Amino acid sequence: MSDVGLTPYLIVAAVLFVCGIVCMATKRNAIGVLMGVELVLNGANLNLIAFSRYGQLGFDGQAIAMFVIVLAAAEAAVALAIVLNFYNNHLTVDVDQARQLNS
Amino acid sequence: METVIFTIYALAACGGAIAVMVSQNVVRMAFWLVISLGSVAGLFFLLHADFLGATQLLIYVGGTVVLLIFGVMLTASGPMLTIRSGPGEVVLGGLVGLAVLGMLVFGMLSVDWESQQTRMYSAAAEEGRGERSMGYNPEGEGNTARRLGAALLGVRFDRDLGRNSETLSTGYLLPFEIVSVHLLVVLVGASYLARTKRRRPNPLEESLES
Amino acid sequence: MSPEQFASTGAALKWLLGLAWLLPLAGFCIEVLGGYWTDRRSRAPAWLAVGCIGGGFVLSTIAFVTWGSATHWGAFAVVDDHHGDAHARGQSPDAAPAAVTGAQAPAAPAEHGHPHDGPPHGHDAAHASSPYAFALSGSFYNLATFGGLSIDIDYYIDSLTIVMFMMVTLIATCIHLFAMGYMSDELTDNYEDHEVHLPGGRHFHRPGRYYRFFSYLSLFCFAMLGLVLAGNIFQVFVFWELVGVCSYLLIGFYVERKSASTAANKAFVMNRVGDFGFLIGLMILWTWFGTFRFANTDPAQPGAPGLFQMVRDADGHIHEHGAGLDRAVVLNDGLGGAAVDAASGQPRSIPFWLLIAAGLGIFAGCIGKSAQFPLQTWLPDAMEGPTPVSALVHSATMVAAGVYLAGRFYPMFVPEVLLVIAYIGCITLFIGATIAIVVTDIKRVLAYSTISQLGYMMLALGVGGWFAGLFHLITHAFFKSLMFLASGSVIHGCHHVQDMQEMGGLRRKMPITAWAMLVGVIAIAGLAIPTPWMAIAFSGYHSKDAILATSLAFMSQNRQHFLLFLLPLATAGITAFYMFRLWFMTFSGKPRNQHVYDHAHESPWIMLGPLVILSVFAAVCAVGGEGGPLARMLFASEPTQAVAGAAVAGTVAVNLPGHALIHEYHTTAGIAALLAALTGAVLSYVFYGAGLVNPATIRSQLSGLHSFLIEKWEFDALYDAMFVRPVHVVARWAQGFDQKYLDGFLHATGRAVVWISKWDRKFDETVVDRAVNVVGDATYAAGASLRRLQTGRLRQYVMFIAFGVLGLFLLMFAFLPR
Repeated sequence: MSDVGLTPYLIVAAVLFVCGIVCMATKRNAIGVLMGVELVLNGANLNLIAFSRYGQLGFDGQAIAMFVIVLAAAEAAVALAIVLNFYNNHLTVDVDQARQLNS
Repeated sequence: METVIFTIYALAACGGAIAVMVSQNVVRMAFWLVISLGSVAGLFFLLHADFLGATQLLIYVGGTVVLLIFGVMLTASGPMLTIRSGPGEVVLGGLVGLAVLGMLVFGMLSVDWESQQTRMYSAAAEEGRGERSMGYNPEGEGNTARRLGAALLGVRFDRDLGRNSETLSTGYLLPFEIVSVHLLVVLVGASYLARTKRRRPNPLEESLES
Repeated sequence: MSPEQFASTGAALKWLLGLAWLLPLAGFCIEVLGGYWTDRRSRAPAWLAVGCIGGGFVLSTIAFVTWGSATHWGAFAVVDDHHGDAHARGQSPDAAPAAVTGAQAPAAPAEHGHPHDGPPHGHDAAHASSPYAFALSGSFYNLATFGGLSIDIDYYIDSLTIVMFMMVTLIATCIHLFAMGYMSDELTDNYEDHEVHLPGGRHFHRPGRYYRFFSYLSLFCFAMLGLVLAGNIFQVFVFWELVGVCSYLLIGFYVERKSASTAANKAFVMNRVGDFGFLIGLMILWTWFGTFRFANTDPAQPGAPGLFQMVRDADGHIHEHGAGLDRAVVLNDGLGGAAVDAASGQPRSIPFWLLIAAGLGIFAGCIGKSAQFPLQTWLPDAMEGPTPVSALVHSATMVAAGVYLAGRFYPMFVPEVLLVIAYIGCITLFIGATIAIVVTDIKRVLAYSTISQLGYMMLALGVGGWFAGLFHLITHAFFKSLMFLASGSVIHGCHHVQDMQEMGGLRRKMPITAWAMLVGVIAIAGLAIPTPWMAIAFSGYHSKDAILATSLAFMSQNRQHFLLFLLPLATAGITAFYMFRLWFMTFSGKPRNQHVYDHAHESPWIMLGPLVILSVFAAVCAVGGEGGPLARMLFASEPTQAVAGAAVAGTVAVNLPGHALIHEYHTTAGIAALLAALTGAVLSYVFYGAGLVNPATIRSQLSGLHSFLIEKWEFDALYDAMFVRPVHVVARWAQGFDQKYLDGFLHATGRAVVWISKWDRKFDETVVDRAVNVVGDATYAAGASLRRLQTGRLRQYVMFIAFGVLGLFLLMFAFLPR
């Protein structure tokens, strides 16, 4: 049985993570930013499970990933609610318009 | 065989992620996200985390992304579908992304994972605990649902079998409870935030109109 | 007296007299507080004050009756025919004084018995058992205890206390009543003081001070009564000072008058000089005796002796040992033995010279308070106060306090001290009388006569006549307050004219005042109608007769001190002379100033009533002489040693006459005094009454002597030269020193400090301030620049995070060892 090994998984996770970061940094659409967050979380999850399989993390990795998924879902729900409110108030989803806290 | 499957899934995941990053249309971004997350679920299966893979498919692909798409549909009105960033920002973001990627890859490549793993296994063997206490358990390959559920309820089959009962680990009962309460709060909060409010007529605008 | 009887009588007297004592204080408090909300034209404060002091008199009278019945009127047991038998008795060998023998041995009981005839008197019986048989002592309240020093409010009640209480309250009541009329000018909201001249020829205007006057009077009475009731010498001192303060307030009642405020200051400062001696005496007493109480007569507390009991034994003798500077007096424990020091077990004693010093110190206080030589000059100036104040100060309270204390403290005085007292009294009486001859201000004549009479009292005390001195104190209080009130009536009637040269013939305008004054004049002059068995006379004759008899007896024992009899005898004549001069100049003859005469009027009855009352008392208070009730009251508390007299005592060898010897000379002295007084009175009539000789010619012939007397024996000039001028010179030196050196030094220091602080300021401004400003500016600039970083743009923050992670990684990579 050929084993892929730890490193390729980590690389995939890193790519997902970085894509998420870049999404958050560049998208002006609030939904896009949320997608970036999902990507980042997925990258992290992938890391956790890869270490669970190959590292010393053991079964804890899967359990933590479990929680991460649940929390991500919750986060997505709340974030979308916020976005909808924002849209209701500003008639836009451009995060650059959300600058009330500046000065 | 496994390598091939891994390659396919990995390419799909990375490609989807990059496409999400690059795409300017929100609806397409959502589609690519589905692709990427689905591939990650496949990778979970490859890593013998079958329950988690299923959860990923159910919650992420089936729940979260659908939620996102609902958001898109509720907010998408013409120009909102494609809000373009400035080219300078894109370039800067790309550069920073590349730098972080380079950093991560450099970091993971500079660690000798294999020797560390073997060293750990030998140390565990010396202590007489065996390989199964150190994470992957070949005998329980796949079929993680029961063990995960047991762990969430506070029972750790993978660690506590044959041990002195005084040093039993607690499992994840407490985090599980916290998360469940958290979820409840989040759902209540989300429904509160997202409920449709009747827009109050702005008295200033009315006076201007009349 | 049995202990139970003692306790019940003591409690009754304590509360009766204590209440009489505190009533004026209550009046004072009410008046002082009420003065601010009552009308200034209200007579209510006066009635309140009169009520308080009158209540005091009633309570004192009740106390007298209580005391008398408790002692079964022992002091009055037998009012026998005193003058008839006493003389024969006095010559009996049995009563011959121990003085004749010159022995130091204690007198036998028979010898210090009373020389009076008949069955044993009350006070003979008392002396036989204890010298303090009729005295009640105890404590009201313990103020504080400092180690062994206990400051109490004690009481010491014997017949002298009761007599003083009755005298003070009665006279004070009369004076209060008189003052109600006299001070009625003050019943206004706008009083014009004609004595205070403001620039522009105007007079000073101020609100009336009726209530204030009466509050002061009440406080004065409170202080005096407290002094009389006091059971320890420290408490005496406290009230002593309170009396001084009150006299200060009252003498300076017209504060706006320069002369009044100066006189008040003078009185107070002069008293302070004497009080300094008093303080020294107190220190000595406390150090060596450890107590301030006069005597402890409580039979329930034997062995806790007071001062008197420690110094003298039950027979009035002092036990001493050693000679020269080592001479010491052994202290008694009050039980007949010697006091033993609790710590060392040695018998306690006090060096003899310290006992002398303590006595002289206490007497120094009396000198100041009673205006004795050489501190007599404040008293005439004290005439600046309103006339009722003068009356009170000169009769019942202030000056009486000094004599009272000298009498009360008599057992502590050793013969040396007594000799000093006698000579000081002798000098004082002569000085006062001589000055009184030439003074024309009606109140000042009385003031100098007061000095002179106080001298008589001190002389009597000094030559061993305790009874004579205090007898004269009481009688003098009556007739002197009478005369002062009469003079106040004259001044009131003449619209504040005080100079006798402006008066004359006022008898027709104010008859009652004139007759009252005549009673007083006859009383003080000591005129009498001698009869073979007893003299018909006013009070002054009896007391002065007693004094002269005592001093004659003293002279007979101590020939070298002949001045102590001759000067008082001469002064008795002078007294009659100047008192009749006053009466003749004021009330008889032709008016010298028609304007004053025309406007003179008799005073209202509120003022004449007290005059009549006091006239009666001045006439009859000493009725019966030494056999009369007043005398017997005083005899009841006479110190034992004064009864017996003393043989050659003291380092200067003085013989003190006992009662027996005094009686031997009674007739002689009485006749001599009467002759002298008659001479003075006749001379006065010749000069002023009939106008046979013009006093002006004599005055011009003796102009040197006259100016000397007018200048009060140059005492003020002497003090000016002795104390004031040297102080001025020293002050000028000190001023020069201050200006030259101290001021220079201080100025240089000041300039240096200013210079240093200038540099310091520069340093602060350039270095410290700038540093602080730089820090502040830097912080502000950093904040302002960092503010731009907070754009509020979500995506930028993500970029910051990414940059931050990268930066951290690079840092780790660069610096973390691998």
